[in-house]
Amino acid sequence: MTTLSPSTTFTYPRHYNFPPFFTRQPQLTTFHAQCRKWSLLIQAYCRFHRLFRLPLDSPLFTNERLNRRLVPEDARAVLDFMRSEGRAEWVRGGEERSVAWVWWRTPEEWAGIIGDWVEETAQKNTVLTLYELTEGEATVSQEFHGMDPEVLQRALAILVKRGKAQVFGQEDQQGVKFF
Amino acid sequence: MSRKGVGLAAFDRSRITSAQYASHGNNLRSSHSTSLATQLSVFRSLLQQFAQTHGKDIRSNPSFRAEFARMCAAIGVDPLASSSGASGKDGGSFWSQMLGGSVNDFYFELAVKVVEVCGATREENGGLIGVKEVRDRIMSTRIEGGAEITEDDILRAVNTLKPLGSSYSTLTVGNKLYIRSIPKELNTDQSAVLEAAQLLGYVTVSMLMANLHWPRARAKTAIDDLVSESMLWVDKQCDEWEYWNPGFMLEVEEDANGR
Repeated sequence: MTTLSPSTTFTYPRHYNFPPFFTRQPQLTTFHAQCRKWSLLIQAYCRFHRLFRLPLDSPLFTNERLNRRLVPEDARAVLDFMRSEGRAEWVRGGEERSVAWVWWRTPEEWAGIIGDWVEETAQKNTVLTLYELTEGEATVSQEFHGMDPEVLQRALAILVKRGKAQVFGQEDQQGVKFF
Repeated sequence: MSRKGVGLAAFDRSRITSAQYASHGNNLRSSHSTSLATQLSVFRSLLQQFAQTHGKDIRSNPSFRAEFARMCAAIGVDPLASSSGASGKDGGSFWSQMLGGSVNDFYFELAVKVVEVCGATREENGGLIGVKEVRDRIMSTRIEGGAEITEDDILRAVNTLKPLGSSYSTLTVGNKLYIRSIPKELNTDQSAVLEAAQLLGYVTVSMLMANLHWPRARAKTAIDDLVSESMLWVDKQCDEWEYWNPGFMLEVEEDANGR
């Protein structure tokens, strides 16, 4: 049910086949360069697969062909780096830090996208269920279609704060009204 | 009908003759130089004409450009002679006068891109990057249909940076040309390690010990120095740690795509 994608397999960047890419570099500046490369790769990977959460044992961190693996401890360091960039966040701020939100679009950006869509389709003052919003026929072509419900809540919370939406209803029967 | 003079007049005559020879020589020389000057100005205008008609080709066609540069070199014209160069009394380089700066600009623009690439990759390669990689990176960011550039162009562009007193220079390690963007000298051991790392893409301590007949400590020191300069990346997930040339980041995939 996802939108059509131009290619069906994710194209890894060349440095994904560079063996040291999977070893935390001891030199700090080199490690920084390495983190930037990982950050871009993780965002591209999650965007391609429409992943919102990335666990530290994601297949992305293992290159089977090279028989190399970015161990969870180092992957955690990379995600901490992304956190400092505003591109990742630990799920539930958990102490275990084993799954992270990857913001290939930040909640603010999602809020903007949803807001624009409401505007474009003239749906102000209409009420939509959250289910309709992300799973309904009307949004199939939208980027936020099939979006993670928690991320949706975060994006809507931002719209609420801006006075552009109101969320009501019970747990799984929630609706939203846009202004 | 003349006969050899034996009297005093003979001295006068020989003086007159040599004076005549000299003046004739002068005439010849000056006519020669005016004709040379004419030829040169004709040549200049032809070259200018040529450069103007083919300005687009010079910019867009790398082999054409290289040929043009070669032709200029053959006749002793440095197309990139900077306007601040000592010989330029007329301000503006020969080239910028001729081409309205378009070839000059081509190299200056390229130089800016080279600086960008060097700056963007300095963290990962310690300021030492292969000319070929610079070219590949610049080409990969170009829009399709953009002008083709060659390694030769990159080198010319780097040379245009010289008047800025910048730290950009080229250096050869092994048989590969590099651009160095930080003023850091490599010692001979470090050069030897980098050279070795060009072959397979990586080196190990024992490889250096076996091939260069170095004691372990020497190999370790040279490698550690390069690692601390970001010029080598370490892969610890193998029997013996491998130290990789970051330039291989772009090359590893060429024989192994499909993942």
